[in-house]
Amino acid sequence: MLRQVEGSRAVAETVARCRPHVVAAYPISPQTHIVEALSELVGSGDLTACEYLTVESEFGALSACIGASAAGARAYTATASQGILFMAEALPNASGLGLPMVMTVANRALGAPINIWNDHSDALSQRDAGWLMLFASSNQEAVDLHVQAFALAERLSLPVMVCMDGFVLTHAVEEIDVPGQDEVDAFLPPFRARQWLDPDEPVTIGAMVGPEAFTEVKYLMAHRQLRALDDVSQVARDFAAAFGRDSGGLLRPYRTADADVVVVALGSVLGSLADVVDELRDEGLAVGALGVTCYRPWPLDEVRRALREVPRVVVLNRAFAVGSGSILGQDVRLSVPAATKVHDVVLGLGGRPLTHDVLRRLVLDVVAGQVGSDTLTFYDLDHQRVATELARELADVPSAGGAS
Amino acid sequence: MKLPFAVTLGPGSSLADHTGAWRTERAVYVERTAPCGNACPAGEDVRSWLYDAESGGAGYETAWRRIMETNPFPAVCGRVCYHPCETACNRGHLDEAVGINSVERFLGDEALAHGWTIDSAAVPTGRRVLVVGSGPAGLSAAYHLARRGHAVTVRESAPVVGGMMRYGIPRYRLPREVLDAEIKRVLDLGVTVEVDTPVTDLDAVMADEGWDAAFLAVGAQLGHRTYLPAASAARVLDAVSLLHGLEDGERPLLGRRVAVYGGGNTAIDAARTARRLGASDAVVVYRRTRERMPAHADEVADAEEEGVVFHWLSTIERVEHDGLVIEQMELDEDGFPQPTGRTERLSADSVVLALGQDTDLSFLGKASALQVHGGSIDTDPAFATTRPGVFAGGDVVAGERSVTIAIGHGRRAAESIDDWLSGRHPAPAPAVDLAPYEALNTWYFEDADRTHRARLELARRSSTFDEIVHGLDGDTALYEARRCLSCGSCFSCDNCYAMCPDDAVIKLGPPGEYVIDLDYCKGCGLCVQECPAGAITMVPEET
Repeated sequence: MLRQVEGSRAVAETVARCRPHVVAAYPISPQTHIVEALSELVGSGDLTACEYLTVESEFGALSACIGASAAGARAYTATASQGILFMAEALPNASGLGLPMVMTVANRALGAPINIWNDHSDALSQRDAGWLMLFASSNQEAVDLHVQAFALAERLSLPVMVCMDGFVLTHAVEEIDVPGQDEVDAFLPPFRARQWLDPDEPVTIGAMVGPEAFTEVKYLMAHRQLRALDDVSQVARDFAAAFGRDSGGLLRPYRTADADVVVVALGSVLGSLADVVDELRDEGLAVGALGVTCYRPWPLDEVRRALREVPRVVVLNRAFAVGSGSILGQDVRLSVPAATKVHDVVLGLGGRPLTHDVLRRLVLDVVAGQVGSDTLTFYDLDHQRVATELARELADVPSAGGAS
Repeated sequence: MKLPFAVTLGPGSSLADHTGAWRTERAVYVERTAPCGNACPAGEDVRSWLYDAESGGAGYETAWRRIMETNPFPAVCGRVCYHPCETACNRGHLDEAVGINSVERFLGDEALAHGWTIDSAAVPTGRRVLVVGSGPAGLSAAYHLARRGHAVTVRESAPVVGGMMRYGIPRYRLPREVLDAEIKRVLDLGVTVEVDTPVTDLDAVMADEGWDAAFLAVGAQLGHRTYLPAASAARVLDAVSLLHGLEDGERPLLGRRVAVYGGGNTAIDAARTARRLGASDAVVVYRRTRERMPAHADEVADAEEEGVVFHWLSTIERVEHDGLVIEQMELDEDGFPQPTGRTERLSADSVVLALGQDTDLSFLGKASALQVHGGSIDTDPAFATTRPGVFAGGDVVAGERSVTIAIGHGRRAAESIDDWLSGRHPAPAPAVDLAPYEALNTWYFEDADRTHRARLELARRSSTFDEIVHGLDGDTALYEARRCLSCGSCFSCDNCYAMCPDDAVIKLGPPGEYVIDLDYCKGCGLCVQECPAGAITMVPEET
């Protein structure tokens, strides 16, 4: 049933309906409302048979979830920004040990400088941790992805990250259909762990693996990640059949047929992007958009298929690899024919608004040949400010002879 | 289970990996000296008896019996001791010292209420020991000697035993029924008492009566006199005689206005006694300042509460028939009072001198071979005088004076006498390894403010000699005992056992008995950090 509700609240209620046995989380903006709501649901008795652990840190939160999952419990946590970095040590343990769990990342910039607003540098910094990473384009999709994430995690015995843009989604109040308990129960079977710690039937989870088998373990893990692409699609199809709406899956193409320009993006910007696409199509420009819902594993074949006929691809990067280039853009470049022009654009960092006007101008500039395709372009950069500061920095450098 | 390749295995064990080999330091359980017991002049093992008392019930008797191992006067000391144990107590760094003195009194009173007694199980030695003086030193020695099987006779010049506990400490601080009951328990061990029997010639007594040893504990019974020009009608008396006479049933005529000259505890006792005897003005005249006064601050505060007035930096120049001429003093750079020449008059009907106490050594006789010095009998650290077989302690030897110190002298002298009679070499003094506050992990102790004993209402203090300080009840005594931090001694909290990351602390059967499994202890020192009591220490591994 549709109702006006905050994105965080809707996610919390959805998670509760997935009946986690353990929630361990440490509050951090903009994730806080989610875990606060969950603690209330546990405290009020609405979410029963769930242990809510108030931990001392994000590291503690994820470690507790790892322990809970190893004991056969359905575990959930949520974090953002530096919080996920504080989890970094434990992230590959969850995936490496094949422990299913779900984590929401309320995407936020990484400091310093400290910045609480939205971009994707937190989640993308952990792209190689072995977790499945799903990006929500709307609050409805965020809600739906959580149900799918538990199903995927437990089907694959792998941890799943659901990324939703901080504030833009977490704090937006809008009409959302929060799945009912019966619907979720029908869709998500009770958790049956692939492995669990049981004193009556002891096993050793996390034994040391030496050079004789380490590569094989890692290969099997990577293989399982890639195989998960099929499951992501299948679970999305099952979800559509059960709930009557499309959510999740690998990609979210929008009017890409016959497009001369396709803009690739992660997350909530897809809404504004669709509006711009409609507008420019009306004006006669063949423009489309491609949302990447499943970022890890990277759906290489699907992206290749979607962009095969497109001469110009614009990649909206809301995070970048310092000293190297883009992150999302690199994945896209590997997925398109060599002749395709890939305009790799960084914008919307640290909460800088990605408005309809910015997106429209970007596409028009690309079409007009004003955005290069060889290098990374910081599209919404204040060039004058940067030039001034660079000049000042250079002036401070002492000359080689030491005299001034 | 479909176990993932390699990372998940069947049950195994890492016990084959003896991580103890990594160790460069090892943890060792230690029993350190607690500051309270170290400071106790009577030598009580305070920490241990507090631990006994912490279990309440039968633990109280255990605690009391442990006190009685060293000090036969817990109910007395629980009232009159100046409790250096509390001054030393590590808990004082945290909030307030444990009320050791009040717990001791509770235990002493419990013993009296329940009639707990001490038996001497020792086989009679056939040795006879004479104790001269029945004050705290003499009775303490008699108690410990009797418990070692010696036949003890206490000879006392006064009509009643007790010494300064009876003739020096006013009843409002030490009710006589408490004193009598604790003395009776000592005498019930078979100690012979001869009162009204002054010793006048020690040599003769030793020669004629065949004692195997003697302990001289005659105290310091003479009020120190000073020359004061005084009019013939002036009433000048000394505090020792005043307090002594009161105990003999005298009711001295002090008048309405009483001046007390001196700054020690006896001066305070005299002034407070004067108030109780009807003096409307009780004024203490002291030549230095409050900070430099030897009397204990608590007693001074009590006296002030009761209306005693203090004239600091004042000396008495002369006594006239209706008052005093007082000279004002000022402290010089070294803190010594110097006369200023400025005088004032103070109305007084009588003057009580409380300028310290001197010993009366006439009992030694003229031909005594004992070496004396400055009015005190010379002794070695074992309390032996220069005459073999004769020992001395309490106020008659040089040093600080208090009931508790005297009790400690009596015990240690009794041990020396026992050694001497048995031809044993004295046991070496136990090594002192004080548990410092820094060694404790006080985080583990609950906040617990100190309990304070109730006091007699002020209105009843000006006319009666009723006891002022009340005792703790069972609940508050238990609470107070449990405030003990057990400095330097394991109290079986299991912290080391629970905290060891290597599961290398093994708990043996009885509580508090742990051993460290050196096969697995990596020497991380976590147990040392987490031990609340500072009872574990790290020592370098031998290489």
